[in-house]
Amino acid sequence: MTLAPENKTKKAKKLSMKARYEALTRGLDWEPSYVEKDEMFPHLDYEGIKIHDWAAWEDPFRLTIDAYCKYQAEKDKRLYAVLDGFAQGQGHLGLTDASYLNAMKIFIQGVTPLEYGAHRHFAYLARHFAGPGPRFAALCQSIDEIRHMQTEIHTLSNYNKYYSGFHNWPEEYDRVWYLSVPKSFFEDALSCGPFEFLIAVGFSFEYLLTNLLFVPFMSGSSFNGDLPTMTFGFSAQSDESRHMTLGLEAIKFLLEQDEANVPIVQGWIDKWFWRSYRVTALVAQMLDYMLPRKVMSWKESFELYFEEQMLGGLFEDLAFYGITPPRHVEDAIKEKEILSHQVYWTLYQFSFAAAFTTSAPSDEHMDWLSQAYPDTFDTHYRPLWEKEKKNIEAGGRHFAPGLPQLCQVCQVPMLFTEPGDATTFAQRESEFEGEIYHTCSNGCQWIFEREPEKYRQAWLPVHQIYQGNCGGPTVPEVLEWYGLQDGDAGEYIGSRDHRNWQAWQGEAAADTATPDETKAGA
Amino acid sequence: MQYELKTQVIEPQRQTFTHIAKRYGDKPASRYIEGSIDVQPKEHFQYRPTWDPTREIYDDSYSVFRLTDAYSYLDPRQYYYAPYVTARSGHHEAFATSLEYIEARGLLERLPDGWRSVLAELVLPLRHLESAGQLILCGMARFGWGATVTQSAAYSAFDRVGNAQVLSRVGIALGGGTTDLLAEAKEHWLHDAPLQGLRRMAEETIVETDWGLALLRLDAVDRLVYDLLYQHLDDEAVVSGAPAYSLVAQHMASWFADNRRWIDALYTAWREDPELGATNAALLAEHGAAAVDTALEVVTPFAARIDELLGGSSAVDRITTTAAEVRAAHTGAAA
Repeated sequence: MTLAPENKTKKAKKLSMKARYEALTRGLDWEPSYVEKDEMFPHLDYEGIKIHDWAAWEDPFRLTIDAYCKYQAEKDKRLYAVLDGFAQGQGHLGLTDASYLNAMKIFIQGVTPLEYGAHRHFAYLARHFAGPGPRFAALCQSIDEIRHMQTEIHTLSNYNKYYSGFHNWPEEYDRVWYLSVPKSFFEDALSCGPFEFLIAVGFSFEYLLTNLLFVPFMSGSSFNGDLPTMTFGFSAQSDESRHMTLGLEAIKFLLEQDEANVPIVQGWIDKWFWRSYRVTALVAQMLDYMLPRKVMSWKESFELYFEEQMLGGLFEDLAFYGITPPRHVEDAIKEKEILSHQVYWTLYQFSFAAAFTTSAPSDEHMDWLSQAYPDTFDTHYRPLWEKEKKNIEAGGRHFAPGLPQLCQVCQVPMLFTEPGDATTFAQRESEFEGEIYHTCSNGCQWIFEREPEKYRQAWLPVHQIYQGNCGGPTVPEVLEWYGLQDGDAGEYIGSRDHRNWQAWQGEAAADTATPDETKAGA
Repeated sequence: MQYELKTQVIEPQRQTFTHIAKRYGDKPASRYIEGSIDVQPKEHFQYRPTWDPTREIYDDSYSVFRLTDAYSYLDPRQYYYAPYVTARSGHHEAFATSLEYIEARGLLERLPDGWRSVLAELVLPLRHLESAGQLILCGMARFGWGATVTQSAAYSAFDRVGNAQVLSRVGIALGGGTTDLLAEAKEHWLHDAPLQGLRRMAEETIVETDWGLALLRLDAVDRLVYDLLYQHLDDEAVVSGAPAYSLVAQHMASWFADNRRWIDALYTAWREDPELGATNAALLAEHGAAAVDTALEVVTPFAARIDELLGGSSAVDRITTTAAEVRAAHTGAAA
């Protein structure tokens, strides 16, 4: 007799999709008896989180391995076809301007390595969680993150062939001063216990702030003729929505398992909101200053993606569990009018030691900034740039002497001002075991004082330079140690990328002007 | 005939990334290479892990097996994400086609009794062994040193979930569209004497914190079990009227052959390391031999039960021979 699943007269034996999925994924665990369960999952107790029933984890996606592979393979086929076509057709010449690529340089140097870290540590969760549901979800995310890392590298690989600043990103991530901002952020998460990592990355990074972190890069690409990055962004979207759902499921799971988890999770939300938010400082300046064709201002982006969607939406839902909006969120809101300007002004002055270039905003660009920031730009920042314009006209483009002091926690230069007062620099001091540590804000100070024994370990690039651990005491020695090449750093106007761009655009224009008779079609 | 497209010719400034060019020269590099080499951060780790303050976030001391240069190991399959999922998509599609055929022809119902018992009592419970493999390889994907080795481990971990699902689907089909046999298989896994050695080995290997040793143990058991079930018994099935078994076995066998390629390449890299080669070879001889001895011990009751059910299938002989070969490969001695 053959099985006939379509045969409706037979007893309803066929499994429902849900039952089938559970049979394929859930039944695999067993209670060990040759070793202790605590020995098998040794990291689950020390953070204080209590899980009573791992089976209560709801799989947000019922993806079996065959379906996953099929779907992902089809997406990659389409993505790589776009990358190949773009490379073959010298698509990079259609960008708005070569200066746009500064945003992508920061992306490969500062974001791609985070994808890699996420891959490794979701594998840790896939090993160390005691429930098969969250383990499988974590394993899927672990290999998704390999995908994102690699598709980013492959997307930007073609630009690396023609432009500066992309070529040495892994070493730069480990060494260069501004990249210790994302590096210290992610390594903070990697060094946490499994549940804090889940909240730090799965929830805060992938859910709470993902639209602020990733969407500006991807939208920037579509507005600036960067078809490969835009295609990558779309291609990663369905993975990201799975990751966001995982992050949300994770927080609900922890909160529902035990009431005692609530204050612990709240503390992590408070910490990781501010930690992630400080990383977005790099995104804010990119959005307002690095895109030749603007998408939206940082302020608009913050209001839409964070204030409306998260404070207005998510946290209203989480209130049910007794979760309140993150500590120090008011300080972040107060900063939205000034953040990008302060950060870019700093990067502008220190880009002689960076793997990207900067340039003073044009008059047109400044008018856009005035419109986008009516309350702050003309008062505080236009005068700086007008003065700088005179310097440039006099042949004296400004670079800062020396190196900036960095915040002990977020490692951003100490450039921020007091909440609500754009003219007074904020500087916080904390003492721990006889040493003074400096932080940039109330948020970072609070984070430091919660775990001083962690943050005093920080590898602060500027301290390290002064201690002679970075290739030597002089700037050229440090830049060599960073692996920077001629054209990577400094001012964009007159840089290697700028000169090449003008030459290539000139050739393209000349080609168009001369009709070619040997065209195809013969 | 060829037509000529006129395109603007632009001289590239460089052919690949600096870290790739340092190793292989400034020439175009494959996507596997650009997406894998040197992508793991390696210095200036900011904080010690709270879960193990004696180590760094990434640390090469998580195994006794080390490489002077982590990237002397390359996956011979050159799997980065895209070719990996593409290969597995084809693999699972092929299995689905076989299973459809098996179900359409009612081949599982027509299995001789002994073969049905082998599947239900001994093969289906191994979905739990696959689950153990998933945990072991996830540990390796996290604690290994260097992105080429951890990448291979992550894909292999994912494969184990896929294997468990293949076995589960066979179990659902064999159970007439129900999960009854999967539930029974779990009881077999938990309580049947022929499976207890395997379960003990699985549990003990999951808690092994040295990923290199854990891999050796998992691999030793795999080599005995996969060879026995999907090569040796595949031949037996063909001659004893159990085509359903053979149709399933081919897919497990092809996965196994593919999976062994990266593991063998890793053993080779360990052995051929310019500085640590001799140390690694001695470690492989010592721990490899011990792993095979344990594997033979735990798989023997399993094989003996197969011989019982099939009335003499030389299963025990087969694993004994395989174990001797694997042991010799590790120790460098003639088999």
